[in-house]
Amino acid sequence: MEAGKQERKLLLISGLITGSGILTVSFLVKGSLDHATGGTVAGIWLAFLFVHLFLRTTGHTGDPVLLPVASVLTGLGLTLLLRLNSDLFFLQALWLVVGLAGFLGTVVLFQNPGRFAGYKYVLGGIGLILLLSTILFGVDIGGHRSWIIVGPIRFQPSEFAKLFVILFLAAYLSERREVIAFATRRYGPLVLPQPRFIAPLMAVWMLAMVMLVAQRDLGSALLYFGITVIMTYMASGRFTYIALGAFLFLSGSILCYFLYSHVQVRVDIWLDPWKDPNGKAYQIVQSLFALGSGGILGTGLTYGYPKMIPEVHTDFIFAVIGEELGFVGSAAVMLIYLLFIYRAFRIAMKAVNPFSTLVASGLAVFLALQVFLIVGGVTKFFPLTGITLPWVSYGGSSMVANFILLGMLYAISEVRRNHEK
Amino acid sequence: MKNDLLANIRRTAYVLLGLLVILIIYISYVQIFEQDFLKGHSLNRRNIEAAATIPRGKILDRNGEKLAVSLPSKDEKGRFRREYPFGSVAAHVVGYDSVQYGKAGIESSLNGYLSGMNSLERSFGPLARLFGTKTGNDVVLTIDTSLQTIAYQALGNRRGAVVALDPRTGAILAMVSKPSFNPAELSAQWDNISSSKDAPLLNRAVQGLYPPGSILKIMVAEAALSERIATANSFFDCTGSLSIGKDYTLSEDNHTAHGHLSLKEALAVSCNVTFGRLALDLGRNKMEKTFERYGFVKPLPADLQESACKLPKFNNLSDGDLAQLGIGQASLLVTPLRMAMLADVFANRGVMMKPFLVQKIVMADGSVIEQYEPEKWISPANENLANQVAAMMIEVVEDGTGSAAQIRGIKVAGKTGTAENPHGDPHAWFIGFAPADNPQIVLAVIVENGGSGGGVAAPIARKIFLQALH
Repeated sequence: MEAGKQERKLLLISGLITGSGILTVSFLVKGSLDHATGGTVAGIWLAFLFVHLFLRTTGHTGDPVLLPVASVLTGLGLTLLLRLNSDLFFLQALWLVVGLAGFLGTVVLFQNPGRFAGYKYVLGGIGLILLLSTILFGVDIGGHRSWIIVGPIRFQPSEFAKLFVILFLAAYLSERREVIAFATRRYGPLVLPQPRFIAPLMAVWMLAMVMLVAQRDLGSALLYFGITVIMTYMASGRFTYIALGAFLFLSGSILCYFLYSHVQVRVDIWLDPWKDPNGKAYQIVQSLFALGSGGILGTGLTYGYPKMIPEVHTDFIFAVIGEELGFVGSAAVMLIYLLFIYRAFRIAMKAVNPFSTLVASGLAVFLALQVFLIVGGVTKFFPLTGITLPWVSYGGSSMVANFILLGMLYAISEVRRNHEK
Repeated sequence: MKNDLLANIRRTAYVLLGLLVILIIYISYVQIFEQDFLKGHSLNRRNIEAAATIPRGKILDRNGEKLAVSLPSKDEKGRFRREYPFGSVAAHVVGYDSVQYGKAGIESSLNGYLSGMNSLERSFGPLARLFGTKTGNDVVLTIDTSLQTIAYQALGNRRGAVVALDPRTGAILAMVSKPSFNPAELSAQWDNISSSKDAPLLNRAVQGLYPPGSILKIMVAEAALSERIATANSFFDCTGSLSIGKDYTLSEDNHTAHGHLSLKEALAVSCNVTFGRLALDLGRNKMEKTFERYGFVKPLPADLQESACKLPKFNNLSDGDLAQLGIGQASLLVTPLRMAMLADVFANRGVMMKPFLVQKIVMADGSVIEQYEPEKWISPANENLANQVAAMMIEVVEDGTGSAAQIRGIKVAGKTGTAENPHGDPHAWFIGFAPADNPQIVLAVIVENGGSGGGVAAPIARKIFLQALH
């Protein structure tokens, strides 16, 4: 029960952080804490407490850091949303509860991860369909053509596709890692894998290029291509895959740069946003102003001007953290992600079989890439890509998908414990 | 083979976690080292937004009259708009504060205090909310609005400038520039104001550059005395013109021959021949030294935003130009403020005070943040010689070209100037002080292309003296 106690303590701390954030915003914006907000926060506390108690009383022994990390990040996201737009706050709280249910369900379903490996082509197929559906039927909402509308439901399939793609890759690669590692063919000075093992890589590469061109979605293209290349490397240990992947992506991107003006614009903005600060580079320049105006300690919650940045509640939420909580706040958030990704890799290294290891490390790699791309994007470290900041940005699909991801990691972490006993 | 897999994952983890650490370091660069650039960037609207929700400090005259105040906006709750009760009268001193067109004058030079943005606690981030500056600080000027108003009215519709100083302290009592503009209507009228060929935005008192003409003779007179070129008992002969070299002749206005006259009489009638002669006798070096002695190459404090005076290249001056310089012509260009300061030397026993416009800066609760004390700037002349020149300046008004500045019962000292220039009629100048035996105010008046200094500028000076000494 050591882990259970740790989890409870950490949840208490994260709950206090959320509570103080919500109180601060409520009092500064409205002068008091209204019943709806107070009730919502109490409900979220109870939901986390319920999940915690349920897992620990039914004998689950997963990593005690995972749930508190999600709690503190969602708490921060809720605090910022209450400050930006209280309607979104309530919706996000609702999605959080749905996400927690998804988390519990995943923990229970994923107790024996190995059995998913058998359905790898089904999983891969679903992942591909989800990705293709946005390419074919995607609807533009708020500047992203990544939405699918089915009757009353609208969601972003690419948020869920990552789970299926990672499961497929883990199953495919864990089965074939020996072959992929050693089946090479020599082309003059080049030692390349045999064509039939490069084929899936090439397929994903083409998919990524289509995303880049048809959907103008550099973020997803990089994420999905990156995860494929890196997981192939992890399974095979052959650096050739990374080199080949980098070469393919770079050459493809350079080609797109010259062929398509929107790719060109993206890159030019990144190279020098001050050339057109009121036009194409408006968003990134406003984001930089927010970060710089925050300085070291920030302006304090509610004292910044986040509404000067378009799309602030989704892609640019990190800029609000930088402005109102300062470098202290933005660095703290980055360190929380760092801790989480570290834990995910640790779970991968201690997992019982290569499939679980590859699933967990795949999830860790995906999160690391996602955080790097969006935070690097809003800080101008990297060309801007429209993706969400996990657990913090507003969005139902993203919230639920990330809680399922959390559930998968949790389940893998406890299989190891059971085994050790 | 399992170990192999774990080693690959470990390597991948190191690279990705390292990438995120690099990103954190980069964010620290943006938020810490680039913060001043980003905070202060002209496109960053945060400063304007913050300023609009905090009442900006008042700008007050020496008697507490309001020159600029922020009042709650009727249209937008929680915001403030700037009002200028004296409108165009003090526009160039007070300046303006426009979202689109920036700031000028005191609104610009003391923006940090007025907006409250430079308060120390601002750098404490969220902790500052505990103390919280809710309003800006008030700026108290040395200006006397009643004198300012009289000077503004006295100039009428003519282009020109007036500077009035307290001779003992250097405090600027009035600073008028015409044509003017209404700072409250600046944004609405910007196109008219900024494109007008009369340049109403130019503060002629400190930025207008003019040839001084004959008013410079008081300095040449002092230089001649101190360099022992002349004494109080020296006499000069004026035949109406002075031939220099083969082909240059310096003439009197209307070719009047002033005849046999003392230095005092020469100043009173503004004899060009005498002062051209004196400049030639002083020579290039001593003339250059004199200009340096009177501070013409020494810049004033930056908040006065003066244009630097243009001095000729003394080494290259021809004899004709040297003689012209003695009567304030040649390529010399000065500002009205500098001419008021020149007159101050003779009102203040040889000492030129440092001119200042801001008396103090006070917080909303009345506590003083900054207090400015009078300061001696330079001492170009000794007291004895300064008093001798002052006596000559009294003669100018009592029995010379400056008689239009006479006031019954009050001794006025002055010097007129009628400065030739390439833009049309001569500029009319008057500089002087009153009462001559106990100076309360020192003045410089210029009317651009106004004609004769004695006829146009001296009567304006008289009106301002009357108001100041009533």
